[in-house]
Amino acid sequence: MYNPKNIIDVLADNIRKTRNPFGAGNSTMNKWWKKTPLRTEGDAMLYTGLMYQLMPYINKTTHQIERFEDTAIANYVGYQKYVPKLLVKSAFAFMPVRKDKKRYNNILKNIVKLLDKSHVDFFYKPKLDFYSGILLYDLGDNEGFIEHAKFVAGKLKEMGIKKLITVDPHTTYALKVLYPKYTGISFDVKTYFELINFEAQDEGRQITLHDPCFYGRYLELSDVPRKIFDRFGIENIDVRNSGKFTSCCGGPAESISPALTKEILTKRYAHLQETGKPLVAMCPVCLGNLIKIGADVEDLSEFLGHYA
Amino acid sequence: MTQVYPEFAEELERFGIDTTMDCFNCGTCAAICPLIYEHFPRKMIRYAQIGAKDRILENYEDLWRCLHCGLCIQTCPREADPGDLILGLRRFVVDNWRRS
Repeated sequence: MYNPKNIIDVLADNIRKTRNPFGAGNSTMNKWWKKTPLRTEGDAMLYTGLMYQLMPYINKTTHQIERFEDTAIANYVGYQKYVPKLLVKSAFAFMPVRKDKKRYNNILKNIVKLLDKSHVDFFYKPKLDFYSGILLYDLGDNEGFIEHAKFVAGKLKEMGIKKLITVDPHTTYALKVLYPKYTGISFDVKTYFELINFEAQDEGRQITLHDPCFYGRYLELSDVPRKIFDRFGIENIDVRNSGKFTSCCGGPAESISPALTKEILTKRYAHLQETGKPLVAMCPVCLGNLIKIGADVEDLSEFLGHYA
Repeated sequence: MTQVYPEFAEELERFGIDTTMDCFNCGTCAAICPLIYEHFPRKMIRYAQIGAKDRILENYEDLWRCLHCGLCIQTCPREADPGDLILGLRRFVVDNWRRS
């Protein structure tokens, strides 16, 4: 386990300077929209919160962090302060593999496809698409989170943005629940899958949905994808711990202790495997972890994208 | 010897927590927690209730093991939001680091 203080210091410093946890400009990692025909005006703004775009970098960094966790290097007092910073930077030094980036970028392109197919009036402005700061909130740096949230909410308000379409549970929770509470600025926030409105049929297809904690419990949205599956004739075979009682993938511990993440993930994956069906995830962190452990898994947008 | 601060529950309100004394230590949170780790989060909550600040600061690493998955919040019979209390204790510790 890494000293949380050092991890928080690195992340808070990066977010303060560059508005994202990796300390690189947002434009460096947010490139999925290029060559994708997107409107810049419309009713609601597609807001990715950069989570899917960050995943290849998170994967790369946690791989490095995992190698050094609880070793002499990580625990050596003099280095404890510098190791996390070096490892976060290494995500850029050893650039993520192209295949990894392509998959996460395609997920966002699939979401555009699903919204278009559902005739949703939306637009995208990459310069207004910021990381939500949720990691600072989760790690206990409320001061840092509030400063960042005020910056982001202020920018959106200044540009007259009122409606947001989100793509992941962590950004959705930040914008829907935390921003009104800590910044006093509210937006009408909906996830992309709440807006899916087209018909398809695939009678006999079976899958198992892994509910992320934030959709399952904190935002209570687990029934929404299940209703889409029902409409499409797809059978979702639930594991015991699903919906409001879903089990964590272990992702939240990743920045402090990849070993703990692995332990929790291994248990969850064993439960999910019990159905023997291909898995569908709805969160970039869960998806990344399930891919890492070797699961046959698609993101919800990839899965539904087959029908759009 | 551990010094206790009975007013700590009030101090925690500054960190967004107003349910510290609602917990009656039934242990449901510890039973459902995926960590299955030394009565976590029950023990930490008890420390908070009696204001054993030193114990919390000494064992701060345990706070960051929490996944904030919300299972304990979902199942707490007292609606004492154990997971949020742990998050509040993280804020207390971070504040302590920054002030020291």
